[in-house]
Amino acid sequence: MARLKLPSNSKVESGKTHRAPPGATNVRRFIVYRWAPDEGSNPRTDSFEVDLDECGPMVLDALIRIKNEVDSTLTFRRSCREGVCGSCSMNIDGVNSLACTTPIRAVKGAVKIFPLPHLPVVKDLVPDMKRFYAQYASIKPWMRAVTPPPPDRERLQSPEDRDRLDGLYECILCACCSTSCPSYWWNGDRYLGPAALLQAYRWISDSRDETSGERLDDLEDPFRLYRCHTIMNCTRACPKGLNPAKAIAEIKKMMVVRQL
Amino acid sequence: MSTTGRPLSPHIQIYKPQITSVLSILHRVTGGFLCLGAVVFAWWVITLSLGPEPFAVVRSALGSWIGRLLLFAWTFSFFFHLCNGIRHLFWDAGIGFELRTAHASGKAVVAASIAMTIAAFGLAYAM
Amino acid sequence: MRYRTALSVVRGAGAAKDGTRHWWAQRLTAIALVPLGVGFVVMMIALLGADYDGARAAFAHPVAAALWILFTVALFHHAQLGLQVIVEDYVHSLGLKVAGIIAVKFAAMALGAACIVSIIRVSAGS
Repeated sequence: MARLKLPSNSKVESGKTHRAPPGATNVRRFIVYRWAPDEGSNPRTDSFEVDLDECGPMVLDALIRIKNEVDSTLTFRRSCREGVCGSCSMNIDGVNSLACTTPIRAVKGAVKIFPLPHLPVVKDLVPDMKRFYAQYASIKPWMRAVTPPPPDRERLQSPEDRDRLDGLYECILCACCSTSCPSYWWNGDRYLGPAALLQAYRWISDSRDETSGERLDDLEDPFRLYRCHTIMNCTRACPKGLNPAKAIAEIKKMMVVRQL
Repeated sequence: MSTTGRPLSPHIQIYKPQITSVLSILHRVTGGFLCLGAVVFAWWVITLSLGPEPFAVVRSALGSWIGRLLLFAWTFSFFFHLCNGIRHLFWDAGIGFELRTAHASGKAVVAASIAMTIAAFGLAYAM
Repeated sequence: MRYRTALSVVRGAGAAKDGTRHWWAQRLTAIALVPLGVGFVVMMIALLGADYDGARAAFAHPVAAALWILFTVALFHHAQLGLQVIVEDYVHSLGLKVAGIIAVKFAAMALGAACIVSIIRVSAGS
């Protein structure tokens, strides 16, 4: 059966509480998922009280402050801190987003921070992204053409054709969408997920690519494409404002229309 | 099955229910419940061809208070599955995917389903 | 399994080359069930107070019987397609999944056949 319950080694227990330094007035609690492979125990949630007057506005600022001032073992991915690299994707207040573009102000009460859902945890907030990247690779995210390129210039594309890539090329592969999808939770081993499918549609839509037929053939499968039931958690979660649900619907339309 | 011993990150346990996901699972639940209704429909039709006595059994079962309760549940399930199904058909045509539109259409589906259920039951009791 | 690359696992046995058929059939039966389903609900409300003969009379006219049959076919086909997806989504053990899909299809066909035969008998006898 689809594992609705967490396996016994994954059940989260309560952990340590770290209080704010004395004299702090603007205090907010951060409840953070913790697990380390060398501890030999189940995951737990630690509570950190952070003085917001001493902290930057974003959730990532709070995580960095906790790591600097309170517990240096807290582990998370981060890089650009401006919402373009996709490293700091995690589940904040029950919704997947980027920690660096989620204001602490946007969350009411204690800020609950968990890793991206239904993925193996490497440590703390770092999930194992191997399968996600493999799914991206499997849709062959490069231009494929049968005809050779013109000898004297690049392959040309009209402005209208270029516009068709808007809303598709901007994906930063943060995995917020795929890991928000219940279908990806239950069948993520065979369902490609919104991120990979959005990128598949990006290449199908590129007028310079000549292998749309083969790309659609590779999706002609009850699981790879058709586990999407238009739940739409993906579009709700995308921190870049993209619409994977719509892209997947356009793929399905192409799959039907080429049979009519 | 984890061969690495790594835990699985929490999913349904921590993910915030949203209008998108809640209406989607309700569509599936009403669909499943309507399958049970289809079985009862089959029972009703088959007894119509068998004779007055088997038919009377079905009629009294459906007329009992539990029968009426189930009929009410099936009526709401039908109207919800119908309205949300039409919402799905628009999506299949590529229409209505902006988040604001999806949220608004979701609310409209819930309101329409409740209204149609009340109307149908009102009509049924009036007759 | 530990040494297999993630990409080879994702590529798996390749695309099944089938899936759109199921998706289209579900949409087609859904579209049919919009008027047929609403018609069904209207009929059932109208037949609430009907006795045995009154209910049978609703099947008398051949066009009525045809619509009842179309409703039955669309209903059980749509139901079977939806239940198959539910089994595929939630049941991961291969044996149980195959058994579930077979059970769903056979049950739908059996009930559908029984309904159609009953409708024809009622219509012919009314």
